[in-house]
Amino acid sequence: MAEAVEDAVDEHHHLPADLATHFGEHCVAQPCVDGIPTVWVPKEKLRDVLRYLKHDAPARFELMFDLSAIDERTRQRRDGQPDSEFTVFYHLMSLSGDDDIRVKVALADGESVDSIESVYPVANWYEREAFDMFGIRFDGHSNLRRILTPALWEGHPLRKEHPARATEMDPFKMTPEFQKAQQEALRFVPEEWGMSRSGKHTDFMFLNLGPNHPSVHGVFRIALQLDGEVIVQAVPDIGYHHRAQEKMAERQSWHTYIPYTDRVDYLGGVMNNLPYVLNVEKLAGIDVPERAQVIRVMLSECFRIASHLLFYGTFAQDVGQMSPVFYMFADRERLFSIIEAITGGRMHPSWFRIGGVTSDLPDGWDTMVRDFCDYMPARLDHYEKMAMRNKILKRRTQGIGAYNTEEGLDWGITGSSLRATGHDWDLRKKRPYSMYDQFDFEVPIAQAGDCYARCEVRVAEIRQSLRILRQCVDNMPSGPVKSDHRLTTPPRKERTMQDIETLIHHFLNVSWGPVIPPGESVTTVEATKGWNSYYSISDGGTMAYRTRIRTPSFPALQQIPLISRGFMVADLIAIVASIDFVMADVDR
Amino acid sequence: MNADLVLFWVPAAIAVFSTALVITRKNASRALVYLVISLLAVAVVFFVLGAPFAAALEVVVYAGAIVVLFLFVVMMLNLGRSSVLREGGWLRPNMWVLPGILAFVLLIVMFHVFAGTQAKTAGTEVPPSAVGRALFGPYLLAVELAGFLLLAALVGAYHLGRRYLEERRAVVEGTGEGVDAGGDGGR
Amino acid sequence: MLFGWEVNWSYVLILPLAAGTLLAVMFLQWWERRLLGWLQDRRGPNRVGWFGVLQGVADGIKFLTKDDWVPPFGDRVFFVAAPVIVCASMLFVLAVIPFAPSFHIVDVNIALLWFLAMSSLAVYGVLLGGFASNNKYALLGSLRAAAQMVTYEVFMGLSIMGVVIHAGSFSLVEIVGAQEQLWFIVPQFLGFVIFLIAGLAESHRLPFDLPEAEHELAAGFHTEYSGMKFAFLMCGEYVAVIATCCFIVLLFFGGWLVPDFLGFLEPLVGEQFAGLFWFGLKVLFFIHFFVLLRAAIPRPRYDQLMSLGWKILLPLTLVNLLVTGFLVAWARWGL
Repeated sequence: MAEAVEDAVDEHHHLPADLATHFGEHCVAQPCVDGIPTVWVPKEKLRDVLRYLKHDAPARFELMFDLSAIDERTRQRRDGQPDSEFTVFYHLMSLSGDDDIRVKVALADGESVDSIESVYPVANWYEREAFDMFGIRFDGHSNLRRILTPALWEGHPLRKEHPARATEMDPFKMTPEFQKAQQEALRFVPEEWGMSRSGKHTDFMFLNLGPNHPSVHGVFRIALQLDGEVIVQAVPDIGYHHRAQEKMAERQSWHTYIPYTDRVDYLGGVMNNLPYVLNVEKLAGIDVPERAQVIRVMLSECFRIASHLLFYGTFAQDVGQMSPVFYMFADRERLFSIIEAITGGRMHPSWFRIGGVTSDLPDGWDTMVRDFCDYMPARLDHYEKMAMRNKILKRRTQGIGAYNTEEGLDWGITGSSLRATGHDWDLRKKRPYSMYDQFDFEVPIAQAGDCYARCEVRVAEIRQSLRILRQCVDNMPSGPVKSDHRLTTPPRKERTMQDIETLIHHFLNVSWGPVIPPGESVTTVEATKGWNSYYSISDGGTMAYRTRIRTPSFPALQQIPLISRGFMVADLIAIVASIDFVMADVDR
Repeated sequence: MNADLVLFWVPAAIAVFSTALVITRKNASRALVYLVISLLAVAVVFFVLGAPFAAALEVVVYAGAIVVLFLFVVMMLNLGRSSVLREGGWLRPNMWVLPGILAFVLLIVMFHVFAGTQAKTAGTEVPPSAVGRALFGPYLLAVELAGFLLLAALVGAYHLGRRYLEERRAVVEGTGEGVDAGGDGGR
Repeated sequence: MLFGWEVNWSYVLILPLAAGTLLAVMFLQWWERRLLGWLQDRRGPNRVGWFGVLQGVADGIKFLTKDDWVPPFGDRVFFVAAPVIVCASMLFVLAVIPFAPSFHIVDVNIALLWFLAMSSLAVYGVLLGGFASNNKYALLGSLRAAAQMVTYEVFMGLSIMGVVIHAGSFSLVEIVGAQEQLWFIVPQFLGFVIFLIAGLAESHRLPFDLPEAEHELAAGFHTEYSGMKFAFLMCGEYVAVIATCCFIVLLFFGGWLVPDFLGFLEPLVGEQFAGLFWFGLKVLFFIHFFVLLRAAIPRPRYDQLMSLGWKILLPLTLVNLLVTGFLVAWARWGL
């Protein structure tokens, strides 16, 4: 076993060697396509290993980036991996050492594993999700209950035996008893969350903020324990927008899953396609032509601007400023007309393809983008004057909902929100993908870590994205927009009608979809709301064996109770507005 | 009976009647609304008697501010059915007979005293400036004393309020254990 | 005749004035939405009638035909009474407003106090409405409303005392008369600013719409209201805006008076309507100002609003009152 570890060391990285000296006799390394060191750890040692990695390893892994599980029971191609029915994986990141590690634990069906909540507090919700989706129990978890599915849901959706389609189940009937039981299950019982109904001098008021409330940005519920208008405790409740995106990935071909990704962060559009197609390309070994890469960057940045503009407007609106959101929607409209001209779609173009993009840019695209780049900065100046420099807005948001970098990392905060605490990690700079290293832009940061800083950073990012857009227009490479690789989907059509071989190949790739070689890979991008990653496992079929979508909004909501305690209801609204999330991104 | 007398007797009767309702209503918020009506009726009586300034102040200060605060507190406490029952208990005869008799005796004495004096009927109007002159002339001492009293109340309220705020801060910062996502393990 | 106050033909004005005000409210809410639309780069209601002027009628029909719902879990009597209190108390204010030299329903010598008294009664509507809804958002909204309105009544009352000192009367006709030489905005600028802020808070319009704050409290105290009852609450709000603007004009901008250099316009409107014309023009100006404020300014937090009131506005009004009193006394009697 130790040799295997050393092999992995040679092949990939130095850190497992370090791990090997401490836990060597227990660990098994697994090579992965993405090159991230992957180590199998026995479940008894799990907490020790993670604690070591977080506190004592040479490169401290401050961030628990992702945690979920894999149902391995029907998987065929897992050569060299320890026996496992359910595998729990932990994706850790070290920002100080710019490093990644994936820790896996093998479990038999029904076996439980130690909760790592005490090491990484952010694991609380992730473990609840894994429990909800797979039925895996986590020993020592403070509140292990369903998080995404309703409390009375039967079965665990991501287990392979759970039906994925309505046709696999009996027709659904809503009986009065069923409805009553479901509603009763939604009743908020403060005692279940460790809250008391009255304090020394006051009776607390419990307020259900949401799931239908104007300021919770979708269907999101926060149960508040209030003393007057001061928040004593808050309990976020999610799952109202859950659509089992990860389950759907197991029933769609690699190609036809692309439109589903658009709907994960519905404000991100093609920004959601990006990590998915990058990841599949990594598994398939496809090199994407430069022109396609730059087009991808350009459209992704368009969506970053669109998403940030919506954030900016609703942020101002949620602290009571009525007008900016209308101006910003008008600006978004200009942006969408560009996107529409290029892709034919507006919010969900699903335009990226495995191995490139759907089609080449239309005539006149460059003047449209250039006009927008000329138009936008003056508007931003105007909004700056109107919203960001407004004294009432500052009073409402400065010093509200603040956290520092360390707390942010503990709670899995990534992207712009983390940069608002003075941390300059931007994946586009630190781990450039899709030719981001060729662009000249800055990474804006702010220091305060409060609501105002989070907005400040995003506003500055709009300007940087405009810079990138202009560079895309000025330096758009020529060449094909699709790779020549045989797994590119749909394949290039020029030669299809010339001979029978390519015709058959085209026919199969379009009708069945491409067969992606077996392997595991994760790709993370700097999405609109933070770091978004797709972790795909191919078992050598036309569909993914497992797709894990890690979204930035999910952990951000978990942090709400911490940063809103002691503030007023109005502050909570400002905090919620400053987080920049959409519920589709949280619940998936 | 001339119009002036009607204008006096109608609001006066409303005032007495609604005051009786204030006492007998079991629901605190209802009682307070009757109190407002009573105060408004008294204001009309003041007006008819030629004291428009006092009438306006009656509405602005008593109906518009003080009873609002009472109602505010009643709403805050959110008194439910239990308090209605308790109020009902207080309306049993053994609770009110003795105070009722004592009050009645006082009323007789008062009638006896007033019977000797000639009632001052309406007709002369007291303008606001006259009220001001009276307050800052002959009654200056009373005004100053009332001012001191209010100042003392203000300081006392500030003191109590500050202590409450400190306690609340302790409550807000103290809760964290055993609550989802509030576990401070990693901090 | 009652204590020598004028009881005259102007009583016939009551009905037309009330009806006219309600009609004005109907157009005002359309105009406000159009104006906001224009300011915010969008169209606003433009479908019903010419440029959408009949939007108010359409809304009215909708309000009338809506289900007249009373929450079964609430307090029926208070729930129904609340909108009436809000709307009626604000309409009562109009009774004492002199729109032109002899165009008013009554001219009482405590007109100013009448305004304060009525606006303080409007609190009951908001408070009872929220309480009767038996809804937590409504309760929070009406608690905010009560605290906010009671607080700002204090400054509202104190801020206009400077004007009263200058004019030496509570009568609005005399106050306007005292501005023949100089509008009170000049000596009482501070009083004007405070009155404006307090007026905004009293009518709970956007910068100070904390009782309704839709981003925090759904719809605040009127969360459970719909149909005609909601229409009444909204109507009360708009009448409050009109009344506040009327009082701003009366107290600080000379009511129906107009600077001499504009006198040449008088024949254009006709001599007998000149006062009404100027008064209406000034009131319209301030109504637009209220709308613009709504479009521009974010909402402070509830405790920030309260501390603005108690920690800044209260000392300022007191200083204003003292200085004004001192200056007037000096001018009148010397040192």
